[in-house]
Amino acid sequence: MLAKIKSKWTYLAIAALLVFLILVPFDWFLGQYKGLAIFIGISTMVTVGLCLLMGYTGQVSLGQAAFYGLGAYFSAVLSKTYDVNPWLAMLIAAIATGGFAYVIGYPIFRLRGNYLAMATLGLGLIMWILFRQLSQFTGGPDGMAGIPYLSIGSFVFDTSFKRYFLVWFFCLAILLISQNIVQSRTGRALRAIHGSEAAAESIGINVAQFKVKIFVLSAVYASLAGSLFVHHLRFVSPQPFDFLASVKLVVMAVIGGLASVWGAIFGAGTTRILSDELLLSFGEWDIAIYGLILMLVMIFTPEGLFVKLKDVFGRLRLRHSERGAES
Amino acid sequence: MSADQFVQYLISGLTQGSIYALVGLGFTIIYAVTRIINFAQGEFVMLGGMLSFTLAISAGLHLVPALLLSVLIATAMGAIMYLLAIRTAKRASAVSLIILTIGAAIFIRGIAGELWGVDFVRPPFFTGRESISFLGAYIHPQALWIIGTTIVVTILLHLFLSYTMVGKALKACAISPRAAGLVGIDAKAMALIAFAIAAALGAIGGVVMAPLTLTAYNVGVMLGLKGFVAASIGGFKNPLATVAGGIVLGIVESLAVGVDWGPFTSSYKDAIALVVLLLILILRSGRLAAEERES
Amino acid sequence: MSEVILETRGLTKVFGGLVALDKVDLSTEAGKISAIIGPNGAGKTTLFNLITGVYPASEGEIYFRGTPLRNTPAHKRAELGIVRTFQQVHLFGNMTVLENVMTGQHPRSKYGFLEAALRLPKAHREEEAISLKAMKYLNLVGLGMHAEQDALSLPLGQQKLLAIARALATEPQLLLLDEPGAGLNTLEKQELSDLIRRIREAGTTVLLVEHDMPLVMGLAEWVTVLDSGQKIAEGTAAQIQRDQRVISAYLGEEVE
Repeated sequence: MLAKIKSKWTYLAIAALLVFLILVPFDWFLGQYKGLAIFIGISTMVTVGLCLLMGYTGQVSLGQAAFYGLGAYFSAVLSKTYDVNPWLAMLIAAIATGGFAYVIGYPIFRLRGNYLAMATLGLGLIMWILFRQLSQFTGGPDGMAGIPYLSIGSFVFDTSFKRYFLVWFFCLAILLISQNIVQSRTGRALRAIHGSEAAAESIGINVAQFKVKIFVLSAVYASLAGSLFVHHLRFVSPQPFDFLASVKLVVMAVIGGLASVWGAIFGAGTTRILSDELLLSFGEWDIAIYGLILMLVMIFTPEGLFVKLKDVFGRLRLRHSERGAES
Repeated sequence: MSADQFVQYLISGLTQGSIYALVGLGFTIIYAVTRIINFAQGEFVMLGGMLSFTLAISAGLHLVPALLLSVLIATAMGAIMYLLAIRTAKRASAVSLIILTIGAAIFIRGIAGELWGVDFVRPPFFTGRESISFLGAYIHPQALWIIGTTIVVTILLHLFLSYTMVGKALKACAISPRAAGLVGIDAKAMALIAFAIAAALGAIGGVVMAPLTLTAYNVGVMLGLKGFVAASIGGFKNPLATVAGGIVLGIVESLAVGVDWGPFTSSYKDAIALVVLLLILILRSGRLAAEERES
Repeated sequence: MSEVILETRGLTKVFGGLVALDKVDLSTEAGKISAIIGPNGAGKTTLFNLITGVYPASEGEIYFRGTPLRNTPAHKRAELGIVRTFQQVHLFGNMTVLENVMTGQHPRSKYGFLEAALRLPKAHREEEAISLKAMKYLNLVGLGMHAEQDALSLPLGQQKLLAIARALATEPQLLLLDEPGAGLNTLEKQELSDLIRRIREAGTTVLLVEHDMPLVMGLAEWVTVLDSGQKIAEGTAAQIQRDQRVISAYLGEEVE
């Protein structure tokens, strides 16, 4: 592994990213893709949580869409059927989803690897069935429409342009928070768990508790994303929360890099572009391609595509600077 | 529920459960020999059914060669999957392997969806379509085939594992991969065989069930999950317990639908298996964790 | 007056049909360097695993400073002050040398999720303190100049020292070293001995499992001998070396 190149390059990259993000929704730039960009932001939020979960605690969640859906449905039902303030609904959704993750987290996290994956798979499917079946609340398979916009005072987020900034505000906030966590004592504990659970336990890290905490965190992220999702579309249905949705999230995490925070943007971005733009004409092939991506990435770059690209880029720069020093 | 109805539900549960048993056996064999959970197990069931449809109806083959060929092709695919995907992923962590087999499952499903479309297909019944009266209920001849095949396969598997060289080698790997290696057993060859057998078991299940339950490109996930439940009940070690588990699951599902109380309609049937799964995993988690630590 | 910091009574562990430890009574005095020796398979690592809570005992009790450890989970024992190193080192390969030691400060630092997520000043202050202390322990074992390197880039001998530094960072009262000398050359073993003495001087009780006889005999003030899961002798190094039972237990082994 390369030594960290804590450089002006990183700051430059982030600055460039920010400028790019601010300019995207303008019609003279990439405005026609605002909708896609909003979905990328929302997906990134869920993906970051998944990256932390899979990358740091080594736990695969094959049902992350369940939390995404819970956030969506809580927000939808509370704000539409019960007229709760959408922001409050979002907060309640996040707390409820997080609480749910906590309750099922402890028993599930005593399981290891394979069993856990199946448990989350089962969980995702159960939630999807519930979304479809509890039609008195959820509107059943046809879903619910008429969900209100989010607003701050008299400023209503009623255009894609406005919602783009809202979504990316949340998305960047979550990325920053995750980055802070990773670089902290908590982050070290997580990396320790990933490095050697036995050793981590031996120096006082409560491995099970950390796993649950990250699980809850990933659930909260997903819930917030789900809430933003329904206030964007003003519509909710079970369809975006099925097994395939969970698989796509894993694809995003895997492309972005399992233990990478900022890689999540890359992962979500490429996968969304792939699924929403390029693969539409391919019928069922898109499923096969996701499967292929998962297999290829796991075989050749299990640390994640983005992470590998960063490595390669860093190596090239190192060689360049060495040559520069020699001449 | 009347006695007649009860018997009817019992029979349909036994039938469904037999399929879960076969899928579960596939999971068990692969896990016992390689410690891998093959998330693509359900897809081989799907393939068995789909292939038998294509060969028997579209290609017009006679039934028996069509069935045999279907199982053979699916088995070959299981072997290929192991060789291409699993073997090439050298330093694969547990997470990587899970994602890898999920990727394989999705890949197979996607290809199937493209080749066969999304509609259900029905291969021909093995023998006739008239239900037979039995203890006040009706049992379809295909259901008898399903149950019968499962019994035969289970017995054959048991004999194979206990009395043939290869079978005993597989068992040795299951008990201790390291010790097996020390006595000259090639772990990679055993893994390949395990994958092939598991694919065959799944395909046999698929081939025998498809005429009765229909099949489509996306049945793999649920079947895989339920087979996993069966295998969990057997602790991923004990084939007989796996079969028993599958059958119990099938019967519980069937009866739950039959009981039909309150808001729980038959659409919740699938959820039952999932809840059972979570309960088993949670209840066993303590013991599983302890076993892992002590090894 | 020396306190008994660690005591086991009738400690037994059975794996399936195998009795790994058979009613072992052990008593370790605070502030001393004690050792557990015995032929391969004697149950030494199993003993460590029981003391640190990796798995529960089949029978018997373990007391730390008089308090029974029966239901205390592993991470809690580390918080109480019982910390160990592993035979296979088990470094955190995804971190630098310094970060490994900083992680050792985990039970002695407090700031959590919230302070970390929001980058509160409390987090900053504690990070500073953690960093400084970690450097101190790193220098104690002589690895200070490697602080920013990847942990796995160190040769084995230094990796073992790093593991010890990480354990020291938890500010333990009882340090359990599992074969710290394995794989080290003579010079490294000498440095290890000096390090262990310095650790004892600082007030930490050391309990080590070792195969290297000269190393143990030169260091340990009290030696317990296990064979096939049973305690067969204990005493000072000099007494043990003359004990007939110990000698015959080792006859099947290479005695260095």
